[in-house]
Amino acid sequence: MNRSLLTRLGLYAAIAAPSMLLVATDQPFLIQVAIGTLISAILALAWDILSRTGQVSLGHAAFFGIGGYGSALLTPVLGPVLGWAAGILLCGLVAVLLGAVTLRLRRLYFTIATLSFSLSIQVLILVTPGLTGGSTGIMPPVIAGGSPPLQLLFVTGCLVVAAGVSDVFLGRRFRPAFFMIRNNPELAAASGVPVTRLKILAFAVSGMVAGLAGSCYCGLYGYVIPDDVFTTNWNVLPLAVTVLGGMDTTLGPIVGAVVLRLLEELARQAVGGVGYQVVYGAVIILFIVGLPEGLAGLGRVVLRRFRPPGEGTRIKARLAS
Amino acid sequence: MTTAVIQAVLLALSMAALYAAVAAGLTLTVGVTRIINFAHGEFVMLGAFLTYWLYTRFGLSPWFGMAASGVALAILSAAVYRGFLARVLKQDEHNQLLATLGLSILILNLAIIAWSPDPRVMQAPPLLPTLNLGGVTVPGNNIAVALVGLILFVAMYAIRNYTRYGTQMRFASDDPTLAAHAGINVDRVFELSFVIGGAAAGVSGGLVALVLYVQPTIGVDLVIRAFAIIALGGLGNIPGALIGSAILALTEGLTSTFVPQGGSWGFGIAFVILLLVLVVRPSGLFGKQAHP
Amino acid sequence: MTGVRVRGCTVAFGGLRAIDDLTLDIPANAVTALIGPNGSGKSTFVNMVSGQIPPRGGQVLLDTDAVTGLRPDRIVHKGLARTYQVPRVPKELTIDEVISVPLLYARSDRPLPGGARSAADLARYCGLRPEVTTRCGRLSVSDLRRLEIARALACRPRVLLLDESMAGLSLEDTDQVIGLVRDIHASGVTVVVIEHVMRIIARLCSHAIVLNQGRLLAEGPPPQVLTMASVREAYLGKGFTL
Repeated sequence: MNRSLLTRLGLYAAIAAPSMLLVATDQPFLIQVAIGTLISAILALAWDILSRTGQVSLGHAAFFGIGGYGSALLTPVLGPVLGWAAGILLCGLVAVLLGAVTLRLRRLYFTIATLSFSLSIQVLILVTPGLTGGSTGIMPPVIAGGSPPLQLLFVTGCLVVAAGVSDVFLGRRFRPAFFMIRNNPELAAASGVPVTRLKILAFAVSGMVAGLAGSCYCGLYGYVIPDDVFTTNWNVLPLAVTVLGGMDTTLGPIVGAVVLRLLEELARQAVGGVGYQVVYGAVIILFIVGLPEGLAGLGRVVLRRFRPPGEGTRIKARLAS
Repeated sequence: MTTAVIQAVLLALSMAALYAAVAAGLTLTVGVTRIINFAHGEFVMLGAFLTYWLYTRFGLSPWFGMAASGVALAILSAAVYRGFLARVLKQDEHNQLLATLGLSILILNLAIIAWSPDPRVMQAPPLLPTLNLGGVTVPGNNIAVALVGLILFVAMYAIRNYTRYGTQMRFASDDPTLAAHAGINVDRVFELSFVIGGAAAGVSGGLVALVLYVQPTIGVDLVIRAFAIIALGGLGNIPGALIGSAILALTEGLTSTFVPQGGSWGFGIAFVILLLVLVVRPSGLFGKQAHP
Repeated sequence: MTGVRVRGCTVAFGGLRAIDDLTLDIPANAVTALIGPNGSGKSTFVNMVSGQIPPRGGQVLLDTDAVTGLRPDRIVHKGLARTYQVPRVPKELTIDEVISVPLLYARSDRPLPGGARSAADLARYCGLRPEVTTRCGRLSVSDLRRLEIARALACRPRVLLLDESMAGLSLEDTDQVIGLVRDIHASGVTVVVIEHVMRIIARLCSHAIVLNQGRLLAEGPPPQVLTMASVREAYLGKGFTL
């Protein structure tokens, strides 16, 4: 227990260290890129938490947007701390409702329903200009007085929180039960697992973490229109980042976000501003064919190959033979 | 007022035929392979561009363009299936989803690089004469779209229900393992369903060029609608897709026409309807309902 | 005392009544065989009692607690556990993790059988030889069967339904599982086995219940039940092995 806690703290420190380094070097462009990368990592972690229960969402832009809009609109009323808390709780609430509605939906229907949900939410924003500014957007209060290095530190803190949440759901209490729900919900129920409650819990937590990502994003520049946060890009990105990095892990989505962003920046240099996303498509296809378990899967294979067989296992092998 | 309503309804119905053409090919493929093929939208887009180029560069009639697009996209679908998607069939659902999304992103951005993101309009003379019914006019191209869309739709239905391959498709989608034991070449059947779906996408691309604009992102807009339509009607249910298309096109068309500023969000209403339908019927209006 | 009572229950799929107005008692603290020809409703019976497919009418009682219409996980809490004939466990989970799921979620003050205290104890109790850190994807069929029994025992059941836990096992493995079932029974658990092989039933069970077409055909001590004319008739030509 203590050892695993130490490992985890080490991991969080390792996640935070590059950001600290960047803040110290004071490179404005790199800091901007890092902020964007970490926000997509948080969103991907949110997506992964939900997918561990077998719910493959294509609608996380909804929570990203609701979180951003929620905290932006509530901060002037409730203050920054309560405003963000309320905005994120709102995401949890919406996620519980969506979770309850989509509970009975099978595979493809679930995915299409989540996608439709994110499009519907965008419409809701457009038809309520009095409350949400409609298509003209809103002006959320900026984080950290608009100072990019401080914003990076703040977003890094949020990522560590998201990583901690992800780790809780990879712990003994949730990981086996979640995987059992994903693989065989009847077996999970026959093992005493309240399947419905856990699926909705996963939805709520996932929605809130995605809302956190959205709140960070909206607080960067002080100006947001619906197309910024509700675009399908935010629906696809967490799926791509997580599958490329490695599902069912905390490190996978973070590494995936970094790698994908790196490739994106390289592509922007090579291809230019228009159509650079062609690299996204190519990378995704190459990964699906070559590394279907993502970078984490590759890591596991490499570890297995280079780790010498432990003393203990060898003795047992002899006993068995 | 009444003429305006009739006019809007007729135009919406011609859009419904277009949507039905896109959705029929998609639901045939999805119903058989159980893969959400996002690249279907890009296939439609490629069909639209091909029809457009054939007309503007070579002066070839859009009738010919549609047929050529159908053939070209059928060939491309076969290549994509053999080279890529066949490998993905055995992977997990999220990988399949990401695979077709990746394919869609790739084709879309290649198109943007090659042809720029700007919309184009194919100014071909109408394929059919304009219909005039006591003040209500329906442009000839809309009639052509409605006709071809319906023919395509009936063709998909007939292939699935009245041919030997159709029987094999239904069998292979119900239980691939059992179908393989029964001597059906499941891989071949899957490929065929992709090829037929691709051909339908190509032809519907031609329809898009006739009544909408030609633009790389048009496929994304259409495929999202097509998914809503096939979920509404029930996955793999071809007549269901027709009803779904009518519901979507009518809501969208009437909202855009009669609600102030409805144009920007009219199509969103359709997704609200879809969510409501799925709450009551988790497998769509006409899909097979699973045991509780 | 009664382990499970079923009172006038019906389960229908479309027009087919898989369980048809069934009333029966399963005695407590016994090993009961639930038998019947293919399609007689045995599996539906297990699904019904465990809450997976609730009956359309009637009542299911666990001793004196009504469990009709409860969710499957609630029924597990009440003390009824079942195994699956074909165990589909997530292949990325370890033996330890699979057994830990009911240990964590099916909380009750009933003791685990055989004085077990942990997932590893239960694995050993059920005769699982591989390390508890072994992933399920690497287990043999007979180990998966044992794991499935261990998982069900981790629910701390009063009543345990074993759905063909010995199907397809070697003679040696079958003997071991028979021994295990006897131990489980000796620790105070009411056991119901669904079995095709009459030799196993004759060795293991003190009571037999025969279903046919969703109805109770016969019940009593296995040697008598198995020689009844009506039972033989129901089985005729269905691979009856004695």
